[in-house]
Amino acid sequence: MTTLLRIIKTGFRNIFRNAWLSTAATAIMVVTLLIMTFFAFSTIFVNTQLAQVREKIDLSIFLSDDATQAQIQELQAKLATVENVSSVTLVTKADALKRLESSSEEGQKLAKSASDIGNPLPASFEVKLINIDNISETNSNIRALAEAKIITDTSFDNRDDNRKGVVENVIRISNSVSRIGLVLSIVFLIIALLIIFNTIRMAIFTRREEVEIMKLVGATKWFIRGPFLVEGALYGIFGAIISLLVLIPFSRAVSSFLIEKLGAGPTLEYFVAHFWIIASGMFGVGILIGVISSWFALIRYLKL
Amino acid sequence: MILLDRVSVMYPNKTVALSGVSLHINPKEFVTIVGASGAGKSTLIRLLIKEEVPTSGKIIVGSIDYDTIDKANIPHLRRRIGVVFQDFKLLPNMTVFENVAFALEVSGVSNREIKRAVPKILQLVGLSEKMHSYPSELSGGEKQRTAIARALVRNPKILIADEPTGNLDPKNSWDIIELLLKINRFGTTVLLTTHNKEIVDALKKRVVTINRGRIIKDEKIGKYSL
Repeated sequence: MTTLLRIIKTGFRNIFRNAWLSTAATAIMVVTLLIMTFFAFSTIFVNTQLAQVREKIDLSIFLSDDATQAQIQELQAKLATVENVSSVTLVTKADALKRLESSSEEGQKLAKSASDIGNPLPASFEVKLINIDNISETNSNIRALAEAKIITDTSFDNRDDNRKGVVENVIRISNSVSRIGLVLSIVFLIIALLIIFNTIRMAIFTRREEVEIMKLVGATKWFIRGPFLVEGALYGIFGAIISLLVLIPFSRAVSSFLIEKLGAGPTLEYFVAHFWIIASGMFGVGILIGVISSWFALIRYLKL
Repeated sequence: MILLDRVSVMYPNKTVALSGVSLHINPKEFVTIVGASGAGKSTLIRLLIKEEVPTSGKIIVGSIDYDTIDKANIPHLRRRIGVVFQDFKLLPNMTVFENVAFALEVSGVSNREIKRAVPKILQLVGLSEKMHSYPSELSGGEKQRTAIARALVRNPKILIADEPTGNLDPKNSWDIIELLLKINRFGTTVLLTTHNKEIVDALKKRVVTINRGRIIKDEKIGKYSL
């Protein structure tokens, strides 16, 4: 216990001894952690957006009012066998009316007048797809079925390629965002590792006399290494603290913009709900970067 | 007890630092090792603190066989052997007290015990007054006393003094030698290396003379002769 406290104390002292290098090490740690958090945020954001968009893009197949119960069942069975179809749900005319009714106040009124004129809403199949990218091909395959003559229309025919275009855009953006994020995170991770490595190397250099004497008076390897590892870990801890001090007011300031203009409400909520996990993640990553680079510097420069 | 049995140290460039050195030093002995620069005195000391390993031969100190000692136990070995050097090796940013306490800190001694032991040992070496001074405020002799205090504070069985008077004037040199004799009277084996003929001749203690890596003379009451 006494020994551990001494090691930690020495680690702290080292930081103040090389104030400029320590500042640089902490600063690069802050930048790295902020970049990682920012890209984690945007990846989660884009993915939730994407999930929402995809959710809306299922294929609806509208059926003729003349279709018999048997024809409908036949088509349903056949649809389930079409490639890329994951599930098929029948929405009857009555279901469609009910949905309209419960959708909004406006919908309630519409539903009322619709039922007055004998429910013109068509029955439909809601088809969920395995891969949204192949929606066009799947649509054609469905249209080509022998049982397809009761189909009047599909959501895909109506909307032309629009939604597909949206999906493609979202996928493209999300992919490039995550790729840029990943590359930048890795680049800064490496820079952080190198800078801390160098800081610890300098610390080893400035303390070489002390290390020599420690060896001479019988300090164990871990007693000598400990303070350097503590120093590395402290850069991670300071980095995480400063990152959080920057991040919290910043996200407060831009939250209304994010929610109103970008619809990032759910993502922000997610971050708030998981604040402690994210904060400890930042501490964890920071400490890990610090200790790993410190360790490499020790292996390389501290011959015991 | 220190026992060296046909110890040789050869460097990769074929330089022979020590060649077939056999030496037996009893507990509580005071032994002076003399020899020209490069004769192998420093190599001998580095072997004893296991900074270096012999190319061949056997070294036993106390009950510890250097061949079989676990790497993890080397620090513990070093805690049993106190060493002082010509250049003192004090930490400039620590006071006398802190420099001595440092030797105890690294071996996990409690702060209470440090507060008890350090002033006692500083009194023994005559530095009670300078406890809170920094090395830069000390004379050479006082620096060496601090180094001796640091080496002694853990009650080592053996004290190795490598040219402890090399940087000191005659008066301070004698003070240090007298301190070493006093420590020896208390029961610590003292191993001294020196170039100082006057000191060696006046000591009237065992003298081991090394030349070109070999022991050429080992006398019970020896004189400096090179």
